Amino acid sequence: MRDNERGGALTEVTFFILLSVFTPRHGYAIMQFVEEQTAGRLTLGAGTLYGALNTLAERGWIAPHGERGGRRRAYCITPAGRVAAERELQRLRTLAETAERIMAGQEETEHG
Amino acid sequence: MDKQKRCIRYFGPFLGAQERWLNRMAEKGYRLTGTGVLGYAFGPCRPGQVRYCVEWVGEKSPESAGDYRAFLEGLGYRVLEKNVNCNLSLWKLRWRPWAERGGQLAAGGRTFGREIFLVEKDNDGRDFVLHTALADRRQYLRRVQAPWLWLALFLAVLGIGYGPPLWLLSALLPLAPALALQAQIGRLRRRERTEE
Repeated sequence: MRDNERGGALTEVTFFILLSVFTPRHGYAIMQFVEEQTAGRLTLGAGTLYGALNTLAERGWIAPHGERGGRRRAYCITPAGRVAAERELQRLRTLAETAERIMAGQEETEHG
Repeated sequence: MDKQKRCIRYFGPFLGAQERWLNRMAEKGYRLTGTGVLGYAFGPCRPGQVRYCVEWVGEKSPESAGDYRAFLEGLGYRVLEKNVNCNLSLWKLRWRPWAERGGQLAAGGRTFGREIFLVEKDNDGRDFVLHTALADRRQYLRRVQAPWLWLALFLAVLGIGYGPPLWLLSALLPLAPALALQAQIGRLRRRERTEE
């Protein structure tokens, strides 16, 4: 998982996993959530998800939730994770506003 | 018709070849029921009912491998362990310098002979890929590459230290798959410049 430490940008996988555990979910539910929310555009491999969950847990952004039910362990977002998600949302909003401003300006230039 | 089948195969560290063979067997209606050092046992299933993915876990400690296995099984996958026997052995000590802490000394029964997972899922018509993000895929391939590089280094040191030159030339053999993996790693790194 490669995040831009200076720019604070999260990868799409990281952000979607954080969003998925605003409600406690186990691994399979996280995979389903990401696929449904992206209409199938983004699918998480089990190995990628496992590594990402471990990394996010090490960072303190997510934590195990409840008792481990058999082989399934659920995760939920932590306060630090919420801060990271909120920061990412603000970054994306700024990016979208910048893009709209520039591309709208480009359209005006093209149409005289 | 009840079909049981036993096959003798040795793929060693060639994970892709093993994965393709298991999926060909699945297409014929054979489902893996057990593994041995050189053997594979199959039972009947509907042709194409299951799909396989072969995953290298040779660098993991027993606890880490067990946790990953539990995670995969929690997703509904079935996991069988298989040997690759990729290790450096001097007398009774097996040292894996590429492994994570807790996995570097391979003892019988815990990590030795359990270097790969044969992961099975019900066929849902999609490709079975465990590592989908580019960075994660690149890091996984580096973990697969590491034993080849250590083996080449080991043989080179033996060749330099003990001769004859054949030992030194044999160091080139594990470099071939290592370089093939490096080419894949390089392609992923270039894609990562603009994609995730």
